[in-house]
Amino acid sequence: MQFFKTPDIKFIQKRRIAYSISGVLVLVGIISIFNLNLGIDFMGGTSIVLQFEKSISITELRNALTGADMGNIEIKRFGSKNEVLIYVEQQKEVSAQEMAVRVESVIRDALPDINYQRIKFDTVGPKIGEELRKSAVLAVLFALFLILIYIGWRFELVFAVGAIIALFHDVLITLGIFTLFNFELSLKEIAAFLTIVGYSLNDTIVVYDRIRENLKLLRSEDLSVIINRSINQCLSRTVVTSVTTFIVVLILFLIGGSVIRGFSFAMLIGVIVGTYSSIFVASPLVLEWQSRHGGKGKLRMMKRKK
Amino acid sequence: MKGKNLFKTMLVVVLVLWAFVALWPTYKLQSLSPTEQKTLEAEGELMPLLEKGIRLGLDLQGGMYLTYEIDLPELFSQIAENKDPIFEEIMENVRGSLNVKTEDFLTILIEEFKTQDIPLHRYWGERRDSDAKVEDFLEDQAKDAMDRAMQKLRNRIDQFGVAEPTIQKIGSRRILIELPGVTNQERAKELIGKTALLEFSLVKDPRVVMETIEKIDQAVARARKGESINEMELLPKDTTEAVAEQKESQDKAVSVSELFGEEEIDADIEQAEADTALLVDENLFEENPFIALLRNTQGRDVAVPVENVRAVKRILAREDIQRFIPSDAVFRWNAETFKVENKDYRELFLVKKEPALLGKHVTDARVTIGNDIKSQGRPVVNFALDPKGRRIFSRVTGANLDKRLAIILDSMVTSAPVIQTKIPDGRGQITGIPGMDEAKMTAIVLRVGALPAPLRVIEERTVGPSLGTDSVNSGKMAALIGFGIVVLFMIIYYRTAGLIANVALLMNLLLLMAMLAQFGFTLTLPGIAGIVLTIGMAVDANVLVFERIREELKTGKTVRASIDSGYSRAFKTILDANITTLMTAVVLYQFGSGPIRGFAVTLAIGIVISMFTALVVTRMIFDGMTSRKVMKQLSI
Repeated sequence: MQFFKTPDIKFIQKRRIAYSISGVLVLVGIISIFNLNLGIDFMGGTSIVLQFEKSISITELRNALTGADMGNIEIKRFGSKNEVLIYVEQQKEVSAQEMAVRVESVIRDALPDINYQRIKFDTVGPKIGEELRKSAVLAVLFALFLILIYIGWRFELVFAVGAIIALFHDVLITLGIFTLFNFELSLKEIAAFLTIVGYSLNDTIVVYDRIRENLKLLRSEDLSVIINRSINQCLSRTVVTSVTTFIVVLILFLIGGSVIRGFSFAMLIGVIVGTYSSIFVASPLVLEWQSRHGGKGKLRMMKRKK
Repeated sequence: MKGKNLFKTMLVVVLVLWAFVALWPTYKLQSLSPTEQKTLEAEGELMPLLEKGIRLGLDLQGGMYLTYEIDLPELFSQIAENKDPIFEEIMENVRGSLNVKTEDFLTILIEEFKTQDIPLHRYWGERRDSDAKVEDFLEDQAKDAMDRAMQKLRNRIDQFGVAEPTIQKIGSRRILIELPGVTNQERAKELIGKTALLEFSLVKDPRVVMETIEKIDQAVARARKGESINEMELLPKDTTEAVAEQKESQDKAVSVSELFGEEEIDADIEQAEADTALLVDENLFEENPFIALLRNTQGRDVAVPVENVRAVKRILAREDIQRFIPSDAVFRWNAETFKVENKDYRELFLVKKEPALLGKHVTDARVTIGNDIKSQGRPVVNFALDPKGRRIFSRVTGANLDKRLAIILDSMVTSAPVIQTKIPDGRGQITGIPGMDEAKMTAIVLRVGALPAPLRVIEERTVGPSLGTDSVNSGKMAALIGFGIVVLFMIIYYRTAGLIANVALLMNLLLLMAMLAQFGFTLTLPGIAGIVLTIGMAVDANVLVFERIREELKTGKTVRASIDSGYSRAFKTILDANITTLMTAVVLYQFGSGPIRGFAVTLAIGIVISMFTALVVTRMIFDGMTSRKVMKQLSI
């Protein structure tokens, strides 16, 4: 069985449309940076997950807690109807544990008949929050830097630049959609983003590799033709790998449980966007760069003896 | 060619066998029923099995993760002298800046003093010490406070009886603690945070200890028979050799409730296992049930095998048993365990309840190398006492020569040296310490009692066990379903080649899990996600090869040739593509912690193994297929 026998889709020719779509999505992503839903890992504070005996009304809880003068409190569903996630902001004078105890006693007073159990509890001090923020950003930047060097070395600078732009594109779009659906950003999700970087790059390199090969084989052809042919040749593999990875991550998203839901959602979007970017961003960018800077539209690689 | 193939085949076979061996403990653990678990525990076999199985992270087992930071403002405040309102004001300012600035407290403090133009030696160190000298002094204090805090925490956590706790220094100001399986968070933190209490208590004469043990023994024997022990007459017993008997002891597994004939509710922090299996000397058990729990080994008066510690604690805690303990004495356990012939024991002491000296009188304690005849070249601990302490100590040592003095931190005995001379000047020396490590620890323990080591919680994460089990189950389910779908897809899309890829995938997972078990990597929930992801991406390497082979076949090459060139062409691509994902995994490992590291590890190992299986294993199988007969067609 084969999805594409001898594909010859005019990817390069359609690239302008792709650029506009990407443009819009990246814009969404950039805007989202100012509206990030940061979890306590980065903001400090306390989050408590309570599991009640039976289904509980969030409004009821909220009413009970707002009255008690606790600063900013946010309540969300965690997993099932019985589970509730309560956020308490970092208070200046009061330690996080004290806040948690206060919250629980308020709930106990307000709803004396319902039993509950604390199943998860996280507290992050403000200093650590700041440190984690810094190290998350550092990690992403460091990874990108390593990648730039590696691809610059294995391929050519053009390719490296194209790949990095594609990666920024991927991360921004995924971030945008992620925030749009109101998922919370914590350390796990940063890990997901880094994985998406790795995955998208994986994909991009496969196409780049084919382009590099074809540059040697089809010296006489135009660059745009070479790139298009390369993408088409990789299409079968790209689709199969994307589909299998997507299915697997989808299962994770559906069954994996609430703890990694944000993580799997980010991965889900990332797989799609990563595949898309290898075809419609990374590869065409090589062409764009070359046609603006390379004179005849042929790459150095084609002229080199190696 | 044949030789190479043979080597490859053997390599693969060896790897698979190793994988099964490495995973056997995990499989066994999973399939144990509760009763089987207990029998193993009695034989002391459970712990080693747990250690060889796959470690589960806190998010899968349930437990607590705490990050403490030395409370430097508090520490420096406590060791400062001549405090005045200006001092308080400066400390206030500095504390405030602490929340805003990222520099170390010490740096901020020194800056503040400089701005105010006040010399540091007004509050710390000796008069006329330069600022630089006081700075060094404060830095040393901070470092020592870390050591004391670590020691105190280690001591405390030992008492919890947690399975595999982690206590780790992070940088120079922070301590990380992981307590798997602890569910009562409030109590845990409370107990950890309490101020350390150091005491020196006289150890009771061995004869008294023996008598007490025998009385308790009689009481327990009677309780077992259902007789009331409240009215029991305290008959003196002659056989003082009961405990020393080490003849062919048949160790029998007995449950605690069998011992008491009742159920007990464990209200404290330890994971209350309903019924621990105990190790008792069968010969003694009937007549001397309590003594049977004890051992006399290696010059220690009363040693208890670790399996029996909980039971002995329960017995000693019973009100009706406590009658038999002399009213001025109390039992105390040694903080550390010791090994004899691969079995772990904990020493038990009977000490005077009223401490002879309180630890707060210790002013300093240092480790040096002895230079007199007795302790030539061996580590000794020198300690000094304050004026009040000197007087007390002089009296105590004078009146109790040749008796043992137990050094007790938070109710656990660190060591119990013998009082050899009267010590009139408050300068004591402890000799006969077996090793440098123990000497250092004893010195730190002495300092712990003397000086504060205030800690603050700056990060805490707790997962309840129910959530942990849920996560494990969802993870397993996701992995199984994911695996199933991918397997199916591969067969449909690549037919026989797909089948071969599936074999490789199976081997992938096997090797991955085996590596986790063998090298003690911790499996976390994101780690399981990493495994699931590996299932999806492992396919990629195979797909790259298969697509190439398909292309080559289309150009008319023979099956043999297509396979060969398919593999060689795909190799470079696979390498390049996977190396980049590997790089991100490494970055994740560096910057991440706990659960995220678990993810990075499974991802990285998964990728490497998938490259191996895709390039070596599947190739082997193809080669095997084509070497028999010339294939005209390939099912791919």
